[in-house]
Amino acid sequence: MTIEIQSLTAVIGAEVRGVDLATELSDINVRLLRGALLENLVLVFRDQDLTPESHIAVARAFGEIKHPPVATAHGGPPEINVLDQTEPRGEGADAWHADNTYTSAPPMGSLLRVLQLPGVGGDTAFASMYAAYEALSPVMRELCDELTAVHDVTRSIVKAIARGHSTANLAEIQAKFPPVEHPVVIVHPETGRRALFVNVNSTARIVGLREEESDMLLRFLFEHTKSPEFQVRVKWDERSLVFLDNRCTQHYAVADYHERRVLHRVAIEGKPPVGIDHASASS
Amino acid sequence: MTQRFSSERLSLHIGAELKGIDLAAALDADDVSAIREQLREHHVLFFRDQQVDAEALKTLARHFGSIDVHAFGRHLEGDPEVGLLDQTKPEKDGANRWHTDSTFMPQPPFGTILAAVTLPDIGGDTSWASNHAAYDRLSPQIQEMLCKLSATHDVSGPLLRAVAGGHSVGSIDEVRAQWPPISHPVVCRHPETGRPMLFVNSNFTTHINGIPEAESAALLKFLFEHIRTPELQVRFRWQEGSVVLWDNRCTQHYASADYQERRIMHRVTIAGSWAPN
Repeated sequence: MTIEIQSLTAVIGAEVRGVDLATELSDINVRLLRGALLENLVLVFRDQDLTPESHIAVARAFGEIKHPPVATAHGGPPEINVLDQTEPRGEGADAWHADNTYTSAPPMGSLLRVLQLPGVGGDTAFASMYAAYEALSPVMRELCDELTAVHDVTRSIVKAIARGHSTANLAEIQAKFPPVEHPVVIVHPETGRRALFVNVNSTARIVGLREEESDMLLRFLFEHTKSPEFQVRVKWDERSLVFLDNRCTQHYAVADYHERRVLHRVAIEGKPPVGIDHASASS
Repeated sequence: MTQRFSSERLSLHIGAELKGIDLAAALDADDVSAIREQLREHHVLFFRDQQVDAEALKTLARHFGSIDVHAFGRHLEGDPEVGLLDQTKPEKDGANRWHTDSTFMPQPPFGTILAAVTLPDIGGDTSWASNHAAYDRLSPQIQEMLCKLSATHDVSGPLLRAVAGGHSVGSIDEVRAQWPPISHPVVCRHPETGRPMLFVNSNFTTHINGIPEAESAALLKFLFEHIRTPELQVRFRWQEGSVVLWDNRCTQHYASADYQERRIMHRVTIAGSWAPN
């Protein structure tokens, strides 16, 4: 059976059919799907029959598994981060973000599988940070190209603890993940394309700017990310798996349900984000 | 005969009170050059206890340049060179927004002389802010970005407010036809000192050119907030006999709309010969 890849928007997202991830992950298919991910940023696989074990195995075909930096309370395999929500509003996933950018090497990508869905709602939207960058004016790009920002775990972990999604101790988490600095614009290590790399959950401030300037710029960039032109919105079903490139996308879990919704996430190790190399960049 | 005066700074970045000078008396070349020097350094000069009528204001203004007739503001009957600010309910008149005067012109005024005629018992202060200090206070990255940009200045907003408030002469269509929207750099250099300064204001600057609207809106909102920083400002409490002379190019001002009694001021505007650059 041939693998069909169908784009969902002009800039992000493709639906993948014709491959059974549990049984057909040949080297050729892995290479093909990796190429499809780089091109489409988010792959939506339908009609999959996966278990926690095969979910992990699929992720491992694309890289080393990255264990959740802050473990969720569940009894399953340690590779899996369980997202189990009933009243999701304000819990943090309903804000545009890339995962774990408060770490020095955020995941390269994540594979998301849904186990339980509300009757209606609970979509996830994804945004291309390439498109977000490219939609900025040249003057704004030049400004952002030069800047770095501090990413901090505090904001998201405080929410997680308050809502009972983490039993971690705030001070311990803060000590384990001290604030890190990443470029505001990163160069994707595989495609070489530039992507905006600030998000409302973890980016606390821009380095070297006055507080008011940093606030202005971050507020603008966070708003900018919300443009529908950069986005695709995925409707889940129980046989779907989504593979996202965490380096050049952000996502938003739509908090429009009051029934239980359970997702499993397996993340793949990433490298520290790298900004524009001005020494070798020719412009 | 050359007058002797002393100068007292009123804040770190802007404003000085000149004492011992009689503006109604003849000013010689040395006086004028000394006042010019003070203006270059302090941008806004305050004089107390003066006795200057409309004619004396015009004589004073002519020491610094020719007199500009305001594009649409009211003036003394029979004398368009002396602007008349006559307000009782000032909230919606537009002077209680930070602005540089007439930046919709290709060559905005050099400066303005304002004299108190009738004052409310309390309130009606005017504040000025330094466009130089506003620029200096930005971080180098933001300065560098702003130096690449220009912005559009449009008479329409303040004009419509002035007409609605009964403070305008002339027709909207004619004024707009005479002063179509114009572009000035966001950062200019003072023509005399060469110092860089921010050159956008909330009355006339409608958008930054050549960038998406959302970027323009974010930057202008920030810059209009920025000018509200008290460290950039000086505030003056008017008294009978108070006269203020300011450099319009490197300052913005704001008339506090905190009175309900009549407040009358005479304004003489000194024409500019500098196209912002």
